[in-house]
Amino acid sequence: MADSPLIPFIATITDIVDETSDVKTFQMVFDDPAVMEAFNNKPGQVAQLSVFGTGEATISITSSPTRNGILEFSVKNVGQLTTALHQLEIGSKVGIRGPYGNHFPYHSMQGKDLLFIGGGIGLAPLRSLIDFVLDASNRDQYGKVTILYGARSMDDLCFKRDLFERWCRLPDTEVLTTIDRPEDAWTGHVGFVPAYLEEINPTPENKIAITCGPPIMIKFVLQALEKMGYTDEQVITTLELKMKCGIGKCGRCNIGDKFVCVDGPVFSLDQIKAMPPEY
Amino acid sequence: MPVKFLTADKLQIFIDRLLASSTVFSPSNQPGNVIRYTQANKPEDICIDYVNSDISPKELFFPQTEELFSFDQTDEGIDLRVQTGYKPKVIFGMRACDVKALLTLDPVFNSQWPDPHYAKNRNETIIICLACDKALSTCFCNTFGIDPVAPEGADLVLISYGSGYIIEECSYTGRELRELYQDLLTQEYVHLEKIKEEKRKQLSEQFVHHVSPSKAKETMDNNFELPYWDEISRKCLGCGICTYVCPTCHCFDIFDYAPEETTGSRCRCWDSCMYGDFTKMAGGHNPRPTKKERVRNRFMHKIKYHLDRYGIEGCVGCGRCIVKCPVNMDITSIITDLGEVK
Repeated sequence: MADSPLIPFIATITDIVDETSDVKTFQMVFDDPAVMEAFNNKPGQVAQLSVFGTGEATISITSSPTRNGILEFSVKNVGQLTTALHQLEIGSKVGIRGPYGNHFPYHSMQGKDLLFIGGGIGLAPLRSLIDFVLDASNRDQYGKVTILYGARSMDDLCFKRDLFERWCRLPDTEVLTTIDRPEDAWTGHVGFVPAYLEEINPTPENKIAITCGPPIMIKFVLQALEKMGYTDEQVITTLELKMKCGIGKCGRCNIGDKFVCVDGPVFSLDQIKAMPPEY
Repeated sequence: MPVKFLTADKLQIFIDRLLASSTVFSPSNQPGNVIRYTQANKPEDICIDYVNSDISPKELFFPQTEELFSFDQTDEGIDLRVQTGYKPKVIFGMRACDVKALLTLDPVFNSQWPDPHYAKNRNETIIICLACDKALSTCFCNTFGIDPVAPEGADLVLISYGSGYIIEECSYTGRELRELYQDLLTQEYVHLEKIKEEKRKQLSEQFVHHVSPSKAKETMDNNFELPYWDEISRKCLGCGICTYVCPTCHCFDIFDYAPEETTGSRCRCWDSCMYGDFTKMAGGHNPRPTKKERVRNRFMHKIKYHLDRYGIEGCVGCGRCIVKCPVNMDITSIITDLGEVK
């Protein structure tokens, strides 16, 4: 039974970054280098993280596969498993199984400008693709990269190092940030992500929009993109549903006859529209 | 045509020898008049005078709770251990609907990321069926094209006839098994197809429900939102009994049982789409927040989603959910009602 896909591999936490007051990014490495080598994740995929004694939860892999030898998971402290995870330290042992699900269609995105629209912890799954595209080995395959990202407050902005020190300094890359309400120390844009998007009004020409965030943000972002003339095929999103097995058996992440864990989590808007609105 | 025949008095010897040579599970009469599949240690444990069991034999392949592995955390690291105690077994006395249910579960557990726990149970279990002689008022396997006298997926079938049973082998394993009992069997000349046809006729007269799932599916294909789901879900208590007795429901939860924190087990147990927190996420968002969405999902899964995904219906018409539902939710009425939606 050692071949059971439900048995995780042991990994060690090698770094922890405090992103916000309730989000941490964990860097993890499998104890067995052969497992690390074979993991072979693609941008947009998810994994099941184990804290033994507490259980498992599905978390998107936030690091790009171009970062060989490590995996990163950005985790908001909201439930039982995430609370347990937040209590761990560098050197703690965890379990990982995966990678699960489909991935962002990074092949068909080649030659296109990419518009990333994220809200809150929703930037975590997008980051795997952003770093994949911006990696020196892939950068010339893609056009301009625009990252539009918002959070409730300055504290709630994840990946500040990437946003303000790394991505914004790269050529042909634009980073636009916003927070919901004004704050004294904030000199940037204030307002919700969908409204900021309409303000910027990026042309749909030769562009793919990739979005992830809270359900309410996604809803209005999709409406805004439609208004700006984006076709359904030009809009990609990644869904988050409660999952237990990650391999299409435990039954809870279905939307109609699709299981988000194996058929998703990445869907184009035309695929989303063909499914019952149950996500 | 010539058939292998087991006289009623030889059945006892057949069972004795089966019990002596294999681990046998069969329907048994449990306290409270519950018919359930349990391990048979002596011939009296086996109940053959039953129409259908209260609890389906699904649990012999996909147990209600099962350990996936155990863990032991020490200063040196974490040790994971996997139990490998699967014993080959024989199930004696299954019904056609319950075998069909296994064919329904097979693509779930065996396709993409095969589940070795289920596969092991499936591959190492010999299935001996009893062809049905009686139908309950809640039986409707005919709706799904199931032949109660010729179960698809069985290894060996016993068909009652005259003073004993016609033995029909349906697989290579079934044939091997039958050969072990060759000395107990006689050869009889009967018109087997005619006997089966007669039984089918008798059963079809007992079936109360004659419904057409294809019409209901057509309605489901074209309508996700229907006021009907509001109406029908109102009486549902969300108790989940329909999913626990269902032979095709496969939803499960995964949890850690660790009373001592550092050591424990990772287990899976049956779960139910009828429960409010089944799809509720840690952050509070719930894609199926009310009974309406949950009831709709269950019935659409049985009639439409499973069929669309795997090419096989998600219901086998065993009728257990009708028998057990405390508020008389009846899947056959739902199929009928939806078939009439214009």
